[in-house]
Amino acid sequence: MSNATVIPFGPQHPVLPEPLHLDLVVQDETVVEAIPQIGYVHRGLERLVETRDYHQFIYVAERICGICAFGHSYGYAETIEKLLKVEVPERAQYLRVIWHELSRIHSHILWMGLAADAFGFESLFMHCWRLRERVLDIFERTTGGRVILSVCRVGGVARDIEASELAHIKDVLDGIKDEYNQLCKAFLEDTSVKNRLVGIGYISKEDAHAMGMVGPFLRASGVNYDCRILGNGAYGKLDYEPIISNDGDCYARVKVRALEVVQSIEMIEQAIATIPDGDVIVPVKHNPEDGAEACNVLEQPRGECFYYAKGNGTKNLERMRMRTPTAANVAGMTVALKGCDLADVNMIVLTIDPCISCMER
Amino acid sequence: MALITEFHPLEADKLLELSAQRCKDGWRLVQILGTNTENGVDLTYSFMKDNVIENFCIPSVKPEDPIPSVTGDFLVAFVFENEINELFGLSIQNIAIDFGGKLYRKSMDKPFTIISPEQKAAREKAAKAKAAAEAAAKAAAAKKAAAASAPKDPEAERAALEEKIKNMPPEAAAKVRAAMEAKAKREAAEAGKAGE
Amino acid sequence: MGSFKLGKMTLGGLFKKPETTLYPIEKKTPPPGLKGHVVNHIDDCILCGICMRRCPTGALTVDRAEDIWSIDRFHCIQCYSCVRECPRHCLSMEPEYHFPSEKKFVSAYRVPPRKKPTPATKPAAPAAEKKEDPKPEEFQAEKPSEA
Repeated sequence: MSNATVIPFGPQHPVLPEPLHLDLVVQDETVVEAIPQIGYVHRGLERLVETRDYHQFIYVAERICGICAFGHSYGYAETIEKLLKVEVPERAQYLRVIWHELSRIHSHILWMGLAADAFGFESLFMHCWRLRERVLDIFERTTGGRVILSVCRVGGVARDIEASELAHIKDVLDGIKDEYNQLCKAFLEDTSVKNRLVGIGYISKEDAHAMGMVGPFLRASGVNYDCRILGNGAYGKLDYEPIISNDGDCYARVKVRALEVVQSIEMIEQAIATIPDGDVIVPVKHNPEDGAEACNVLEQPRGECFYYAKGNGTKNLERMRMRTPTAANVAGMTVALKGCDLADVNMIVLTIDPCISCMER
Repeated sequence: MALITEFHPLEADKLLELSAQRCKDGWRLVQILGTNTENGVDLTYSFMKDNVIENFCIPSVKPEDPIPSVTGDFLVAFVFENEINELFGLSIQNIAIDFGGKLYRKSMDKPFTIISPEQKAAREKAAKAKAAAEAAAKAAAAKKAAAASAPKDPEAERAALEEKIKNMPPEAAAKVRAAMEAKAKREAAEAGKAGE
Repeated sequence: MGSFKLGKMTLGGLFKKPETTLYPIEKKTPPPGLKGHVVNHIDDCILCGICMRRCPTGALTVDRAEDIWSIDRFHCIQCYSCVRECPRHCLSMEPEYHFPSEKKFVSAYRVPPRKKPTPATKPAAPAAEKKEDPKPEEFQAEKPSEA
């Protein structure tokens, strides 16, 4: 009869990226079950809709998460525009897509750096974050902020990007491509990295669908689902194919995210080439009607994010809800952790790209 | 394909049947949310398949009403159901992984059901303004109806108006008289039409 | 034995300029649109209070009785709303971040008394009555204790 021990893992742990607690039931180095516990960064941000009007709440929505900051303000603005039935000018839609795809590039490169740090390859981590600084410099030049951009507003965007700046963005992305390809080779073809990633944390296609998983976590198990196909905003005008892998293990998740960065660079170049001229904002002054409801989905770097807004006739909303991708992926994570080695736990937790501050708002 | 969103009401006892049906048809549970209202908590369940999102709302759930859990069909619901139990004080039963009230470290019980004093004042002010607007609209409509039904006396009106324009400069007086005549002609035409 | 995948980047790193700057000896020039801190051209301020109502964090306070416009820079989130909504365009954002400090404080500015505009029918005020507008002084108000 082997002994089962319960090892508490987190929220403070050197390899754990997010404040999540796991109770690991372990038998002789193999994890039998994992019970998650969250609640360390709950801030109750959804209650702030009651004291801030819908124009001011966008700044609260941005600060839910530092990495997906622009994504939250974009999704919130789109939901309120649906609620108020406001039509956003085309140039603003293209600008939002450019910033959102840059946000995706910076989030994926950040994640790849964290993954490298998790299996011990620190110099790869430093190189990834060095490349990410170039993207943050683009944000600083075009919006005035590095991480929290504060550039999306209800009705459009606050700033325009001129043609010379767009050309500069294209140059920076071209400069990133060569070094990024070398980093990809280090992730996808190196033998020691492969030893840590292949065959770990396998989730089958049926399980992935039943668990309600979203994002690259889902696409690595072979399910073809990506919200950008739905064509909200300017996504409908860009050519796009979701990247899918059928392996379902950690290596497949790294591959999907690495290839998504290259695809995002192509989408940005397409958007820069076809951006139309025009205004970037329409003034929005009226209040939502009493009882009006709207909901919206957006493909953030971590997966599909669902927004719901309800109005009550005043300038404050009645209810605003954001269901973030990590909330949907936690169930999948507990399934993936069954049967793995104790040393692989942090690798699996990291490959779902957790963002606990988003999940708990 | 564009995103289509729909909102439907739902009764609490039909919930398990609906979720079993959706699971079989290949729909995904997207989220469960609660909204605090005066009569209780409105629970909204959202299901998604391809490009359609359907939202089902169970209105006015009180803390004592038992709601069954859908974690039997959709394991992902345990996060949302635990959150609703803790923040709104409802009792959703048979959740697959039940945290028993310890999911979030809160400083108070059922925080989302508490309305702060400033908020209460703001809501009362909005309700008062709405009631006042409704009353004013009703009074204006009644006044209009009364004015329409009372018979008009054109001679008396003209005499009263002549009194007023005696003091005005000549061009303005001529304008007012011309307008009066046009109005009288229009009213006569309308009266004629109504009589037909 | 595989090749060094990062060999090219590592060797290049020996010869290229480093990506980091030697802060605080060298400082990076901020780009012109950077949202650093809010500045008020106090001569044009009319103390209407619109910026105070639009601020999402409540960092601005406008006191009409005392003619004081004050900002709590520790609460400011550099969102640019006040700059956009100001009807006289006296607010702007400078691209330098505010220096760190050991204690919290509130920056308050006194708005100089403005000459009242003379109406058309009344006779013009004699020139001797015109006052010199005093230079706006910044004084550090005590941060009120939080409840």
